[in-house]
Amino acid sequence: MWENLMLGFSTALTVENLLWCFVGVLVGTVIGLMPGLGSTTGVAILIPLTLGMEPVTALIMLAGIYYGAQYGGTITSVLISTPGEAASVVTTLDGYQMARNGRAGAALAIAAIGSFIAAIISLALLMALAPPFAQFALNFGPVENLAIMILGLITVVSFAGGSMRKGLMMAAAGLLISTVGVASGFSDARFTFGNVNLLGGIPFVEVMIGLFALGEVLHQIRVGAAAPIKARFKDMVISRKELTKSGPSIIRGSFIGFLLGCLPGAGSTLASFMSYGIEKRLSKNKENFGKGAIEGVASPESANNAAANANFVPTLALGIPGGGTTAVLLGAFTIYGLQPGPLLFEQQPTLVWGLLVSFFIGNVMLLVLNLPLAPVFAQMLRIPYAYLYPIIVLTSLIGAYSVSNNMFSVWLVVIFGIIGFFMKELDLPIAPLVLGLVLGPLFEKSLVQTSALGQGNFGILFQSPIAVSILIFALLLAVGPTIIGGIRRSQRNKSKGLTHV
Amino acid sequence: MTSTITGANLRKAVASLIIAFIGVAAVIGGFGYGFIEDGRIAAGFLPVLVGGAMALFALLDVVGSLRNSEKESTLLETVHIEAAETLEPVAEPESDLDIYGRSGKQRDRMLLMVIGIILATVLLVPVLGFVVAFALMLVVIAVVVERRRLLPSILVSAIALAAAYGIFVLFLRVPLPTGILGI
Repeated sequence: MWENLMLGFSTALTVENLLWCFVGVLVGTVIGLMPGLGSTTGVAILIPLTLGMEPVTALIMLAGIYYGAQYGGTITSVLISTPGEAASVVTTLDGYQMARNGRAGAALAIAAIGSFIAAIISLALLMALAPPFAQFALNFGPVENLAIMILGLITVVSFAGGSMRKGLMMAAAGLLISTVGVASGFSDARFTFGNVNLLGGIPFVEVMIGLFALGEVLHQIRVGAAAPIKARFKDMVISRKELTKSGPSIIRGSFIGFLLGCLPGAGSTLASFMSYGIEKRLSKNKENFGKGAIEGVASPESANNAAANANFVPTLALGIPGGGTTAVLLGAFTIYGLQPGPLLFEQQPTLVWGLLVSFFIGNVMLLVLNLPLAPVFAQMLRIPYAYLYPIIVLTSLIGAYSVSNNMFSVWLVVIFGIIGFFMKELDLPIAPLVLGLVLGPLFEKSLVQTSALGQGNFGILFQSPIAVSILIFALLLAVGPTIIGGIRRSQRNKSKGLTHV
Repeated sequence: MTSTITGANLRKAVASLIIAFIGVAAVIGGFGYGFIEDGRIAAGFLPVLVGGAMALFALLDVVGSLRNSEKESTLLETVHIEAAETLEPVAEPESDLDIYGRSGKQRDRMLLMVIGIILATVLLVPVLGFVVAFALMLVVIAVVVERRRLLPSILVSAIALAAAYGIFVLFLRVPLPTGILGI
């Protein structure tokens, strides 16, 4: 463990990696607070820029954008009640109310401190748990991998929000898109309609840029802009009493976030909602929640940051992304010629430990940047969106072109941008589609291998105790809450009935 | 008990119906690539499987949308309850106007214009070259769609384009397509 940590520090502390880590967290913070941009969009747009870099440096920068955007997203949640991502929705409840009461600075400060503490706790847990997890996953064969992927797809559908059927429909759509082109192990070119550009499949980066960047821009144009609230330097002071009051909330949020973030396909959104709910239940002044309670900011912010880090447990150890952005990062791994999964810890220790240690360094940079400079970042909300979104369009399309120096990529971004816009308009969740697209080739490979092992009989899935346990867990995740929800509803109806009587 | 179908739900039902058709087409196409061959799955197995699933869930969604039974994912629902109770008191009356005083209809028009301008830009790249086509796009969106003043729009567009050119062409050596002007 210590050897690995030392290896990580020696990798992450080189001048080049420190510099790109700083660039990543800074750009991430800015991206997080820009309307129409989120960590997934930011990482997708900037992947083309990293193609000439060493993989470890590129991943340090891209991961910096990911957790930097979590900090930036908080600023928009607090100041304009517009969460950059679903995980920050809960922060708007009390954060925006604090801002309206002239306590924007305190809300931003406690969010930064909570996020930092959560990051450190979750990173320590990540470093302790991911390697043994990967070691265990080394025993997995095609059958267990297939079960893990089914679990990933079910969890992302369950946690994505929106209806279950819409999530399943989108996961299937993502898997279907991944079948375009010539798959490994087969000679048939599928759904190419004679277009040679499609023989290699629909490229991942272009789809991501289209869905997340262009789709979001079009959506923002339709939604319109909101006015920001001013945050001042002198407001950034937070009292000792407020800090003491928030301490337990931060610790609870960190552990809830880490636990939920570890589930493949699950993510920060559920963690932030759940931690808020628990905090409200435990609080002595429940009535303050929704009116500017500082614990209502501290807890969900800690939870979503911890979950963001915990997302790397399934991503690195199993090769199954923990959420939308880690799905894009997983795509980046494959672009750099790396295969995420249990073998990564054995074959690429410098990369894995360098990346993990860079999270620590990046979070320290973010705390230093965010505590005093949040009001400065907040000024960026004053840049008119009218100037901003054409630049996002330009960056998206030029970035897509640069991946393969081909106008076909640009057309793909435009097409998927329009699809992404309609998905938002029609409440179709994007995350399951992304996961389906990322997992598609691996899913098909596992299907082929499992079918070969069982000589066409998929009953072999039920002969592996590990696979059976994973599938039962997936089933519980899919069906359990429906049953609990049904019981709750009937209880509520009963109590309503009693009241009427 | 009666329920009326809202315009939004009808749109969702139509979209899901289109997705169901795509799923059915994938199943038909998938069978063309072979489903099971020599006791092993063939190239069409996954398209048939996921196309079928897509069509099934899309049809369920059509029925759900028409019945107005938009239900939340139950896993999220179980934890949303606490937050939802808090959300209600802070919900503010929604206004159709954004901070620039533009109505929903105006924003819809802008959206169509932006999509049109992006499509025109990509079509013009082979003729005008990447740089010129995108320079025009930046200025046209700022001046025509967003009604910003010409000079600041040109200035912001020039800076953005110069930065993009510096990063992608000079630093990353991406050979952007040139047009009749040679740039």
